[in-house]
Amino acid sequence: MSNNCFHCLESVPVGFTATVKIDGRPEPMCCIGCQTVAETIVAQGMTDYYKFRTVRAGKVEQLVPEQLKLVESYDNPDIQEEFISQTNDVSEVLLTVEGITCAACAWLIEKQLLNMPAVKRVDVNTSTNRAMIQWHKDALPLSEIIKSLLEIGYNAYPFQADLEASQKQQTAKAYIRRLGVAGLMTMQVMMFAFAMYFGMFSGMEENFEQYFRWISLVLASPVILYSALPFLTNAINGLKAKQLNMDLPVSLAIFGAYGASCYATIMAVGEVYFESICMFTFLLLLGKYLEFRARLKASEFTANLQKLLPLTARTLNVQGNEHIIAAKKLKLDDRVLIKPGETIPADGIVCAGATTVDESMMTGEHQPVDKYVEHQVFAGTVNHDGVIEIRINKVGQNTLLNQIIKLQHSALATRPKLVEITDKVAQWFVACLLIFASITAIGWYQIDPEHAFWITISVLVATCPCALSLAIPTALTCAVATLTRKGILIKQAHVLETLPQLTRVAFDKTGTLTQGRFTLDAVDILDNAYSKADILSLAAQLESYSEHPIATAFSEFTPQQRSLSNIKVQPGLGITGEDQKYHYAIGKSGWFDTKKTNAQATFYVDKQPIAHFYFVDEVKQNATELVASLKSQGLSCHMLTGDASNAGQKIAKKLNLDSFITGCLPQDKQQHVDNWSKQGEIVAMVGDGVNDSPVFNSAHLSIAMETGADISKNTADVVLLNSDLAAISHLLTVSKNTRRIIKQNLTISLIYNGSILPLAAMGLVAPWMAVIGMSASSIIVISNSLRLLKL
Amino acid sequence: MSIIYILIPIAILFVIIAIGVFFWAVRGEQFSDLNKQGHSILFEDDKEQHNKSND
Repeated sequence: MSNNCFHCLESVPVGFTATVKIDGRPEPMCCIGCQTVAETIVAQGMTDYYKFRTVRAGKVEQLVPEQLKLVESYDNPDIQEEFISQTNDVSEVLLTVEGITCAACAWLIEKQLLNMPAVKRVDVNTSTNRAMIQWHKDALPLSEIIKSLLEIGYNAYPFQADLEASQKQQTAKAYIRRLGVAGLMTMQVMMFAFAMYFGMFSGMEENFEQYFRWISLVLASPVILYSALPFLTNAINGLKAKQLNMDLPVSLAIFGAYGASCYATIMAVGEVYFESICMFTFLLLLGKYLEFRARLKASEFTANLQKLLPLTARTLNVQGNEHIIAAKKLKLDDRVLIKPGETIPADGIVCAGATTVDESMMTGEHQPVDKYVEHQVFAGTVNHDGVIEIRINKVGQNTLLNQIIKLQHSALATRPKLVEITDKVAQWFVACLLIFASITAIGWYQIDPEHAFWITISVLVATCPCALSLAIPTALTCAVATLTRKGILIKQAHVLETLPQLTRVAFDKTGTLTQGRFTLDAVDILDNAYSKADILSLAAQLESYSEHPIATAFSEFTPQQRSLSNIKVQPGLGITGEDQKYHYAIGKSGWFDTKKTNAQATFYVDKQPIAHFYFVDEVKQNATELVASLKSQGLSCHMLTGDASNAGQKIAKKLNLDSFITGCLPQDKQQHVDNWSKQGEIVAMVGDGVNDSPVFNSAHLSIAMETGADISKNTADVVLLNSDLAAISHLLTVSKNTRRIIKQNLTISLIYNGSILPLAAMGLVAPWMAVIGMSASSIIVISNSLRLLKL
Repeated sequence: MSIIYILIPIAILFVIIAIGVFFWAVRGEQFSDLNKQGHSILFEDDKEQHNKSND
């Protein structure tokens, strides 16, 4: 028997001997959690899961009653209306399910839920980690569904799709449908086209040729009128906005050639080009869809985020009884109870209790803020260690959090934008094309009026910018795929075009340039009776019970054997504990005495200070290299931080930044970036906090850290999944290579279009030559783009 | 050769049916997660009943 848990494959702790019989063999389990889950899976006859899973299951955590209470609160109709949609008597909900790793998980979840008769339909998506569930709400409360998922080891919570995300899903489906029609129909049209090519060489009966033309017309019509329609609407929208975009020459070629071919079929004259335009539509749609899908994946990844604010709040009535209500139903002057670890649902004033609050998501600073009676607390910040009661003084749109979000939305409307290279090329391409086509038409009209129309059409088909339109999307798709593999998510199409043009990079400090967590800098020992190792070991034992960010600085010193008992966490002060002889405490300086020091924590034995601790937020490993490499590429580096202390100055000096500005509010950051763009600089902002999200929309380019606040990741153009600064230089290299490949692609396709143009104008290009030329140039361009995958 | 006047329209009919099936599959979310659908054939859905009848 192996020593690893059969369910989660982690090692089984000594002394835990539980087993579960799976497919007739007793298998070891590592904890009660895994055991219960495995038993459920066996009892439901779902052991296929273990046979076909490709990734191990997560270790199962036992739920505490508090969490179960939260799950039950999802049954409250006020809360439900935010995420449940109702059609007739069937309700639909989208759940984010944590821990989906492979197809076997999806099967397990679908099987488990469909066992309940009230559930109509379940659809699990393993790439977005979401499950769509349709069921009868009256027969089965939502909390039962979530609990049954917990039974098989998955934690789920309602997901509220924003409008943008669901529109993208719709677009993706429309793309697939259009692509499917184009693909299936193009195959048929090509088949008849080949019959006609052979007929041209070896002769074909007149009536068969005419029949094949009609069949091709019937088969090509859905491709042109359905699949290629977006090109036409885009071109018309562009014209309405007085812009010539790439879709204009594309639609000119497709719809011009289609019209002419229809006319030729009906009147039984001239040439037909059905196969060229079908092939062209299919290739173009494919290129566009692949590019769209690469970005969709990135945005799906970041959209799967927990909400900023809790859905529920615990209000207290006059008698002091607790009620759980929907957080959006909170009114001014409501009294709300907030327990440790909970997120504050609305802005309020503390009216009882003391605690420390993590405001890092608002300010970017990780040092917790002490809160006593009469202090203001903000919605979205997290209560650390004490129980407090607050009186709500701002709700809804007036909370500080929503003010910041509003700032971010208003910045989006005025966001600076660079002209995209595609549009530039398209403009003069369209101009040249129209001039050339009209010269051909007029020229041939003088020489041979009968053939003028057909030769002009063949010019349009031959110059159809297939390779040209594929030049950019294929290069971008390959570059995005390469970057995604390296943990860099690209969410916006403009990123790779903007990057090589940057002149300035602005960084946030905490969490971006620095680790965003405390490490022990110095220990000042006051009593030599204790060694440094002893002090650290005792302090670490106490701190292991604390949620305070400073506690993580001690985690490496935590000893295997614990000697302390009677541990108490005192909100706003520290932690105490004792062994047989002494009473120990670690906490804020001046806890038991009144001596003022600037130490961030002090260790006490029997209330006598023994050692002072000093912490720093260390600069990230790669920060120095990154700044040096950016500077060598001619970019200037700046720091915009909300922290008003002199830590910013120290780091700026250490990293040799060009400038730094401390004590910035979110709108100050925006102001600075706006000023720079007004001076003609192209600015990228790198940050991580909620306070950075408004400035993200002011900068030309925004980069967020994975460790940052969810809202900043949602706003940013780029998300660095491993929060590694070195990724930024990689990003720059890839973008420069992409630019080079795009230029090569454009040259190749322009050479093709340029060389076939005179031939077509002389009336030398038959339909089959147009197809070969177009496909060959497209394939060359695509292969060139594929080189980006090897970076 | 005049048989192709009948056979080709029949072939087109099949293509139309294929497109219908394809649209149905898209609506059923079969293309939103390609990873899952590929594995779905491996799982036995009636294993539970199977075990019961064996008992």
